[in-house]
Amino acid sequence: MRFFDNPNYDFIKGRIPAVIVSTIIILAGLGIYLTRGINLGVDFAGGANIVLKFRDAVPMDALRAAEKDAAIQQYGPADERQVLLRLPKAKGERDYAGEVVEKLHKQMNPEAAAKHDLNYLGSERLAAVLMQADPDNRGTNPAAVQYYNDLAKRVIAKRSELGIFTSMQQAAEGTSTGVARVLNEKAFLGRFNVLNQETVGPQVGRELQAKAFWAIVASSLAMGLYIWLRFDFVFGLSAMICIVHDVLIAMAFLLFLNLEFTLNVVAAILTIVGYSINDTVVTYDRVRENRRKIKTPMNLAEHLNLAMNQTLSRTILTSGTVFLVLLAMLAFGGPVIRGFSWILTIGVISGTYSTLFILPAVAVAWDRWTSKRRPTAATARVETPAIPANAARNRRVG
Amino acid sequence: MNRNVYWKIALILAVLVVFTVAIIPTKNNPEPIKRGLDLKGGIQLVMQVNVHEAARVEVDQAMNAIRSQAAAQNLPAPVTRRVTDTSFIVTPPAGSGTAEYERIAADFLPAFAVTRIPEGLRLTMKPASLKELQRDTVEQAVQAIDRRVNALGVVEPVIVPQGEDRISIQLPGVDDPARVKDIIKTTAQLQFRLVEGGQADTAQGVFASLPANLQNEVDILPGTKEDELGRATGVEYYAVRKNVPVSGRDLKNARVQKGQVGEPVIGFSLTAEGTPKFADLTGNNVNRRLAIVLDNKVVSAPNIESRIEGDGVIQGSFTQQQASDLALVLRSGSLPASLTTLEERTVGPSLGRDSIRQGFTASAIGFALLVIAIIAYYCGAGVNAVLALLLNLIILLGMMAFFGASLTLPGIAGIILTLGMAVDSNVLVFERIREELREGKTVRASIDQGFARAFVTIIDTHLTTIISALFLFQFGTGPIKGFAVTLLIGLGASVFTAFFVSRMIFDIVYKPTERPKELSI
Repeated sequence: MRFFDNPNYDFIKGRIPAVIVSTIIILAGLGIYLTRGINLGVDFAGGANIVLKFRDAVPMDALRAAEKDAAIQQYGPADERQVLLRLPKAKGERDYAGEVVEKLHKQMNPEAAAKHDLNYLGSERLAAVLMQADPDNRGTNPAAVQYYNDLAKRVIAKRSELGIFTSMQQAAEGTSTGVARVLNEKAFLGRFNVLNQETVGPQVGRELQAKAFWAIVASSLAMGLYIWLRFDFVFGLSAMICIVHDVLIAMAFLLFLNLEFTLNVVAAILTIVGYSINDTVVTYDRVRENRRKIKTPMNLAEHLNLAMNQTLSRTILTSGTVFLVLLAMLAFGGPVIRGFSWILTIGVISGTYSTLFILPAVAVAWDRWTSKRRPTAATARVETPAIPANAARNRRVG
Repeated sequence: MNRNVYWKIALILAVLVVFTVAIIPTKNNPEPIKRGLDLKGGIQLVMQVNVHEAARVEVDQAMNAIRSQAAAQNLPAPVTRRVTDTSFIVTPPAGSGTAEYERIAADFLPAFAVTRIPEGLRLTMKPASLKELQRDTVEQAVQAIDRRVNALGVVEPVIVPQGEDRISIQLPGVDDPARVKDIIKTTAQLQFRLVEGGQADTAQGVFASLPANLQNEVDILPGTKEDELGRATGVEYYAVRKNVPVSGRDLKNARVQKGQVGEPVIGFSLTAEGTPKFADLTGNNVNRRLAIVLDNKVVSAPNIESRIEGDGVIQGSFTQQQASDLALVLRSGSLPASLTTLEERTVGPSLGRDSIRQGFTASAIGFALLVIAIIAYYCGAGVNAVLALLLNLIILLGMMAFFGASLTLPGIAGIILTLGMAVDSNVLVFERIREELREGKTVRASIDQGFARAFVTIIDTHLTTIISALFLFQFGTGPIKGFAVTLLIGLGASVFTAFFVSRMIFDIVYKPTERPKELSI
């Protein structure tokens, strides 16, 4: 199979519309940022995230009444009966998520005053309850402790598997009638199980913001520096412009889609910084090789156009395969990595696009600037930069 | 085939075997690649150690030392007053100079810097000593938490200092986060102090009932009020002496016992140094009340019936669970300062299970799509690329097993993404070979040229991605570090598989000696 045989596109021509499109996207992103602001996740804003799984239908109204400041939304498909509570930053450093969970538990489970909640309690506390009742007559020796610990662990492991117990039979399945009786007498099934809780204090949130910002800036600079050392200054500069472009486009889409800006998103952006440069490197490598081979004088834009055509099938194929993988992650990867997958997908598309269209824009600008400074015969060619790639190919030596 | 190729095959097979063995679960090692907290479920905490509390204790002790040394050297007692967490002022009585006290400070308090001020002397903890105290405090806290967590039976906890005054705690597989957090955070500073007067419902009430000369000698501490049956009914206040003759440091062991009516109590035994101290305290104060103070709350204040040697019992209105948790923290030692939670991430085991399932589904489908695309596009050479990818995957997983790197959810994404990127190396080579073929070169020459020309490019693309992965590692915490690690290992493996393995497969299929005419690419 072959997609691009001897391609001969003029990428230089597309540069002005491309710059306009990118500018519009980035400005639109900036507009959203200035009006609505960025949706900072709990990692950076501070506050708490709690994911609860309910035994019956999710009591949205009760939750909203109990936590007025929280943003509450469904988490995963509706039949999973899961909600995500997002609590805004609290004053001071404290165990925010833990406090809210405990409060909600008390409020929604009045039975908890007298009985133990099998959907809430950990295996050790369950073991203690069983130990005290001793339904299987094991006494109080170490073997009995071990016996009830194992029993409790099995029950709680089953809860983990199911997500939540919906009936006592589920909890008591596989245990003796005595244990089932004790569970019925001393325990009840609470209305929710806590799947996940996160608290980030204001201090850590601020620190992470600064750390994320500098990680992105420093890695972009390091990348530009590497290309500069490996190739030359203009390549380093234009590579950096492409990286900044890709990061801004990814951020713009983050704002369009109103995704949360989380640690995982920063990881995705840092990955884009390393990935999107690959197309650029491949193109530059080819330019360097062609400069050695082709004796006819060509300016930078012409060289780029030739190299891009020569490496086009590789660019499309590689981006295509990575894109396929990312599609699978978006579709099947679950809610935890959704933001991460989105940003990577946008970044991969933007990385390819910026290599093909933004890079030439920088190169043409550079050609114009240098030719203005040292006017030579090349000046005329800048106005009609695209020599057909095949013509260049025919002139190839070696 | 020449001997060189045999060596290469042997090397690749050896790599294959070693890494495959590393990732096969065995009875002794059922989980060769550890799951990260986000997949296994568990707690990740960042705690701040309030080291200023330890500094304050240090300052209190220094103030005591100055006064007692002054007494020992027959000097008039100075007035001491703490001004900040790390400094205090010594004011000599009217008429006496500061010289003698300065000498005491120089001799007995090397950790403090002395400056003269109009009031007398100001002693401030030296920055180096403060640093040392901070480090020691954090280190002690780490050890105490480690003992507690071990006593709870958490498998493979990670408890390490972070920065100046923080502790990072990772506890995999914990199913009761609230209780574990309570146990970690309990300071568990146990003190035995004598009670003055009776108790009252308000702090002012107790204070007012004391004679004036005792008012400076006591602290007013809250305790739980109980009815005749030992049930908690409210709060009441005690006046207890500031002096702490016996503390938690003198305990050798603590355990839950049954009290007179079967209620849970905590039995304790004392160390060799603690035993005579406790015996003196109880022997000299028969018929007075002894307050058992835990974290500045009076747990109980029993009457001293007789001299007690070696063993004792702490009564209080405990539930079974509270009693066993308290015994646990007393056994594992107190924290040198209280802790504040800065960050907590708890993943329940159910969510971890979902994440694994989704991560693997996504990876399997992603990988399948990758394989189909490559084989469809490159036919025979595509099969070669897929073999290289599979070896890449095995090396990646094997390396993670060897280094004990944890597999996290972003890490799973990292693996599949790495494979996507590893394809790039093959694509670069194959496209180059196609170009060479188009120019009319022979199959062998095209293969040789393709690999040679793509080499520099591949090294460049890998190095740039490695640079960004290093930044990622530097930035990340937990799961993201896992992602960076898989990215780094995968990139290394991909250079090996692209140049060594793919090349060798080409060499075997299209033998240099046979002048092959057609290349399936």
